Amino acid sequence: MARIRLESVGKRYPNGFVALEELSLEIADREFVVLLGPSGCGKSTTLNLIAGLEDVTAGSLYFDSTLMNVVPAHKRDVAMVFQSYALYPHKSVYENIAFGLRMRGHPRAEIESRVKDAARSLEIEPLLERRPHQLSGGQRQRVALGRALVRQPAAFLMDEPLSNLDAALRIAMRAEIKKLHHTMRTTFVYVTHDQAEALTLADRIVVMREGVIQQIGSPEEIYDRPRNTFVASFLGNPPINYLEGTLAADGARFVRGGLSLALPPELSKKIGAENGRQVRLGIRAEDVDPRGTGETLQGRISSVLPVGSDQFLGVEVEGTTLFFRVGRELRAAEGENVALSVNMNRAQIFDSSSGASLLWK
Amino acid sequence: MSIRAGALRGVFGAPVSRYDQASALWLLAPMLAVLLVVAVFPVLYSFWISLFDLRLTRPHRVPFVGLDNYLEVLQDELFWSSVWRTTSFTLMSVTAIMVIALAMALLLNEEFRGRRFLSAMLLVPWAIPYVANGLMWKWIYDSGYGALNGLLFQLDFIDKYMVWLGDSHKTLALIANAFVWKEVPLATILLLVGLKSIPADLYSAARVDGADLWRRFVHITLPALRPSFMLVMIYETMMAIRHFDLFFILTEGGPAEASHVLAWQVYVETFRKLSFGTGSALAYIMALVTFLLAFWLIRTLGRKL
Ligand SMILES: Nc1ncnc2c1ncn2[C@@H]1O[C@H](COP(=O)(O)OP(=O)(O)OP(=O)(O)O)[C@@H](O)[C@H]1O
Ligand SMILES: [Mg+2]
Repeated sequence: MARIRLESVGKRYPNGFVALEELSLEIADREFVVLLGPSGCGKSTTLNLIAGLEDVTAGSLYFDSTLMNVVPAHKRDVAMVFQSYALYPHKSVYENIAFGLRMRGHPRAEIESRVKDAARSLEIEPLLERRPHQLSGGQRQRVALGRALVRQPAAFLMDEPLSNLDAALRIAMRAEIKKLHHTMRTTFVYVTHDQAEALTLADRIVVMREGVIQQIGSPEEIYDRPRNTFVASFLGNPPINYLEGTLAADGARFVRGGLSLALPPELSKKIGAENGRQVRLGIRAEDVDPRGTGETLQGRISSVLPVGSDQFLGVEVEGTTLFFRVGRELRAAEGENVALSVNMNRAQIFDSSSGASLLWK
Repeated sequence: MSIRAGALRGVFGAPVSRYDQASALWLLAPMLAVLLVVAVFPVLYSFWISLFDLRLTRPHRVPFVGLDNYLEVLQDELFWSSVWRTTSFTLMSVTAIMVIALAMALLLNEEFRGRRFLSAMLLVPWAIPYVANGLMWKWIYDSGYGALNGLLFQLDFIDKYMVWLGDSHKTLALIANAFVWKEVPLATILLLVGLKSIPADLYSAARVDGADLWRRFVHITLPALRPSFMLVMIYETMMAIRHFDLFFILTEGGPAEASHVLAWQVYVETFRKLSFGTGSALAYIMALVTFLLAFWLIRTLGRKL
């Protein structure tokens, strides 16, 4: 029903602060787009512009081909779930869910059946007579979802809807939201700073930083082909490791002090033959194998952090500490030396000064 | 936690909760003593007096009359007409206060140029003592050199100076006007606090849900404001019922009995007729009525919170 298009959209707050500069983004109908970025990067601002809660101060916002810049929020066919849930405290759960339909003048009988349906699908039927203050956090969250989905809006906007839930519930709700997207068949725009949420939910992820889009792509693209160090660092747990060094052997080797790693031909082809160029090698924490062969990193183990199924190893290599995720079967102790083979096919190479990827444009 | 609890038990030899209660009592004791002397004792003593036929015109004979003072008061026609005038004064004042204060609070809750100045101006009537306020309005309403006459005359609304407070149809409304002017600031501030405590997200949610400005006011602002609104209304109702200063300064109950309200009646009984027995009985009836009214308001309106 709704394609959302932002064309060079800017947002300058009344105090003069420019939160967004020239943001262009096209969200397809029924797409699940996640806005991802650190705190203060302008995710909520973008969402509020789409909802009409804030005015666009530059550029244009379209729903399908209709210019929405000056359409007030209450006339846009979008629903929103807030981080605080923002349930109406003096209304019952039923009235909370029914409110949007009432405001749009649906007949009473239809409202009742739609509210009941929504409540049933979210399993909150027994709570309909309660007030928000009589609910647990998870239940409130469901009511907030119910309030949005009952309207069957053209677009579903969510601003960190899960961040107030405990870890287990958060993962369960992730699955529910994904299911919701499948059944609702509408456009979802979802804001989070949790990379795991973004990776599980999104059709496409929009990585933002200080009001500027860094990269747009599918979760795999964003994870495997980050366009710069900011995107690379933002995803992955523990975060990607960097080694500063230079290119040698016509772009076929990465050298740092006594360390010299051969780059696979596909990678070095992309980089081009630039001997002596200062680069930053990125190795994801999981891209090492203690038993493998090929290119290896030698180092002293400085820390061992078991995390259930895996363990995080801090390894000192050439004067920097790198963090890797390896299986529990490796018997590692602090102070020991270790040799880890690196999956160089998954290595990332960035320009040292700009941080831009030399592999992915 | 357990260490702290243990320490407390070590010192006082009692479980923590008992320690809390006992120490709370000790901490409250000085205030309780003061209240006992300045509040509880006079209240009880005036009830005691209301059971005697105590007249300062005849101080040597003070017979015990039981509830006769109350009967006498209730059989007095002037009492019932005072009740009526008090009621209409209260209705007028409180309605006006609530409407104006709500409008002011809504206005001051918005961002606009001059908001700070307006907020500061709003505090002026509040800062003026009741008696000064009375004297000021006495001057404004004065028939010879009053500001109201001057203003209306210059604007050609009237062709001769009026004896405002001498018109028995207008007296009560004019006094109410002065009372409202004095009371609106506090009411506004209390309502404004209520407004400020409404989370902004609720308005965002309502906007996305399709509610226009008016419906956001009805569905978000009004319900959220109800507790403050109730509080202010009950407080102002009690203030209006018991108000005395303006009646004393502006009209002394006149002209004739046009502004003869209950509070004034208490004063007349006690300090003009020097009949402390009936005066106390009257005061007690007023207190009881005020109390019951407040109780009723809280029960009926307060429950819908
Ligand atoms: N009303 C406002 N006036 C001025 N600046 C604002 C206003 N609202 C937000 N900002 C600023 O705009 C920037 C983006 O804010 P926004 O709320 O969009 O961040 P966010 O990405 O949602 O962050 P978070 O993850 O912490 O919610 C921040 O630097 C913030 O300080
Ligand atoms: Mg935010």
